[in-house]
Amino acid sequence: MPMHTTSWESVGPSLDECIKCNICTSYCPVAEVTDKFHGPKYSGPQAQRFRENGQPQSPDHSVDYCSGCRVCNEVCPTGVRIAELNARARAQAAAEHGIPLRNRLLGRSDLLGKMGMIAPGLANFAMSNGLARSIASGVMGISKGAQMPQWSTEGTFASWLKRTGAQRLKSDKKIVYFHGCSTMYYEPYVGKAAMAVFEHNGFEVLVPEQGCCGLPLLNNAEFPAAEKYHHRNLEWLVPYARQGYQIVGTSTSCTLTLKEEAPDMLDIHSPEAHELAMAVWDMFEWLRELHDQGQMKTDFQPINMVLPYHPPCQYRAHHIGSPVMDILPLIPGLDVRESHARCCGGAGTYVYKKEKYQIAMDVGQELFTFFADQGPQVTMTACTSETCRWHIESATHLPCRHPIEVLAAAYGLYDLEKRRLVKE
Amino acid sequence: MTTDLLVIGAGWSGLLAAYTAAKAGLQVQVVAKGLGSMHWAAGTVDVLGYSSEEMSRPVQQPLEAIQGLTASHPDHPYALLGAHQVQTALDAFSALATELGLPYSGAGGFDTPGYSTSGENMLLPSAVGSLRPTFLAPQAQLAGDASRVEPLLIVGFTGLRDFYPELIAENLAKQGFQARAAFLPLNLLTEQGDRNNVHLAQGLDDKTRRMKLGGELKRLARPGERIGLPAILGLDDHAAAFADLQAAAGAPLFEIPTLPPSVPGMRLFKALRARLWNLGVRVDAGMEAIGAGTIPPNGAAGRVQWVETATTSRPLKNRAKNYLLATGGILGGGFDSDHTGRIWETVFGLPLTIPQHRYEWFRPEFMNPAGHPVFNGGLAVDGRMQPVDSTGQVIYSNLWAAGGALASVDPIQQHSLEGIAIATGFAAAQAIVRAMAQ
Repeated sequence: MPMHTTSWESVGPSLDECIKCNICTSYCPVAEVTDKFHGPKYSGPQAQRFRENGQPQSPDHSVDYCSGCRVCNEVCPTGVRIAELNARARAQAAAEHGIPLRNRLLGRSDLLGKMGMIAPGLANFAMSNGLARSIASGVMGISKGAQMPQWSTEGTFASWLKRTGAQRLKSDKKIVYFHGCSTMYYEPYVGKAAMAVFEHNGFEVLVPEQGCCGLPLLNNAEFPAAEKYHHRNLEWLVPYARQGYQIVGTSTSCTLTLKEEAPDMLDIHSPEAHELAMAVWDMFEWLRELHDQGQMKTDFQPINMVLPYHPPCQYRAHHIGSPVMDILPLIPGLDVRESHARCCGGAGTYVYKKEKYQIAMDVGQELFTFFADQGPQVTMTACTSETCRWHIESATHLPCRHPIEVLAAAYGLYDLEKRRLVKE
Repeated sequence: MTTDLLVIGAGWSGLLAAYTAAKAGLQVQVVAKGLGSMHWAAGTVDVLGYSSEEMSRPVQQPLEAIQGLTASHPDHPYALLGAHQVQTALDAFSALATELGLPYSGAGGFDTPGYSTSGENMLLPSAVGSLRPTFLAPQAQLAGDASRVEPLLIVGFTGLRDFYPELIAENLAKQGFQARAAFLPLNLLTEQGDRNNVHLAQGLDDKTRRMKLGGELKRLARPGERIGLPAILGLDDHAAAFADLQAAAGAPLFEIPTLPPSVPGMRLFKALRARLWNLGVRVDAGMEAIGAGTIPPNGAAGRVQWVETATTSRPLKNRAKNYLLATGGILGGGFDSDHTGRIWETVFGLPLTIPQHRYEWFRPEFMNPAGHPVFNGGLAVDGRMQPVDSTGQVIYSNLWAAGGALASVDPIQQHSLEGIAIATGFAAAQAIVRAMAQ
């Protein structure tokens, strides 16, 4: 396969919009805690001037410390696509210097998922075993402190779907569910909660063949492999988009990748990529739309709880406001408190890299302090992104749930403590 | 979800309007492309620094000069509102700033804290040592006023970018002030090598660090001097940082606004945004307004039905009963243009008073006191801050506009950016509150 060439076409022009105001650097959570990242302005629009004109070497290595949280894009007053510039620069550096085995592994959440599922108990034991983690740290550079996801010991989401196929709701109203790797291998209960919410609202759920969205690969600078993944998903999912189905996902970074990251970073601007992007919805974006049309059921049971909720940076990057905050507060008794922290620090696979672990913890401090400030009555937090949930749990020692689990519980369909459906 | 008021833009006018409306009980939402004008300017409230008649001398009594505008420039936003409404808005801002723990004062305010005792503009030193006229300034800038007699010591830090104490002192000396420069090592502020002004300001939120700096300032200052420093004296804990530093230095201190990012502006932005959050107002950046659904005017005024913001997929329809356009002009992104000189308002396509040909944008001299049509032009509004067409008819019954987008003023040339934003944002919010009550 020919080497993927990094194209700057879709982000290059935005560079000229930079007025050097430094707002991005002032709000960058990574630059605030470390010198290793020189900040979005320097690594993005500034360094970019030296990356063009066929420069043989990328101008800096600091861009590898960009966590990709996109706070820079969010605050930029002139619309420079800083995070995208940085992601491309990472890919270019990787093309020049090679990608370490560790990053290749971390980029393949589907492969890791499948491997662990061969013997999930053993895999989980190894990942929580100090000796194994020391070896992983020494040999691979995987941080010892970061909480690894737990492989599901109750089988994959697909196996549950198959097992319960006969009980699934049939309806004229249909949607397509994109579950992502984490629901498939690590957190099938998130998918079960989503299924329960869809069906409670009268929707038949189609779960067609689908693969990893490719985001971990993009984050680890493996653009050619990510390109393959995206083409595969286009093949599987575009036929549904063409038939007018909405494709709804619970993993906020997967839906972001299908909407924008993959087509944009990989320069896949085919009509198919556009059709898919237009058909994809984040779960709560979709629920908000349903509610706006007066179609969402609100037969909630009260949940008497203070629930601090963190809208992750990847969620804010959808630019859809905070639909979770439009829906969850409808639940009686529930006191949802939204965090305004910029990023939890975990940033996908960032926290798993030994040299970045402390940075991830320092970045997350803003959020962890917010959680602590909500008082001792807090027994649980919520966040829309899986890797963030794992990072938050390891830092706060409190369970962190996907908001869809909370909604399913409010419908009386889900046990929020035990993370299982009331009727399996 | 339909709110009472959707504010488009998170600069001075948008945020002040959001606050005014939310405090009056309206349900308000703010969407913005990014974080803007407060981060760019000095953090002062410039009401009227220069009049278009007299560019060589700053205006001394801005509120008096505003009264004169009613006759000389009836389309000027201040003239549309009248001096009394401008004053009311400045009072409201002043009360808000005090409530936020970031009080502003006028001339003479360093000795007698308060709004403005004399009604005069101050002249505060800029980062190149020139004097800027301004009406209200944060506490930490007041001791820089040119009307004070103490000699000036300007202190910089070796290795700090974009702040040159020698340049400032030299230029002040040329203007007749007794001024000298000194340097302190950067490691007083940070152990790290690569920091911008905001990071350094955060460093001084730490008490130990600022006490150390205060001690060094005491060592440097000669008796009777006042000390000018880059505007980095604390970010989230600024009031305490400033008080501690001044006490430890044993001399009056003042901040000199730096090149962007503006720490004084960012302090106000962060405090005001937090206050809005407390009032239940969403303030979402990264939400660029790209269009609107409207019932077009047809004899009578039309109506705005929704404003679309860009997402990573389908545009999002934001629905509200009322809309405030506070996107600024060319710099803020409220206007866009092409190479022919066509220039347009980006959300509603409202008519602009700017010439639609680039050869008509500028007058021959760069510093022409009459300004340039491209900067003087913008959205024409009525006295309630509602955009009007060329015949003076309101275009949409539920649309208001405020701030840098308004016609008949060049806020940068006149040094009136914050004054215009505060006065028009406040007036628009009040008009919306009144409209909702009917």
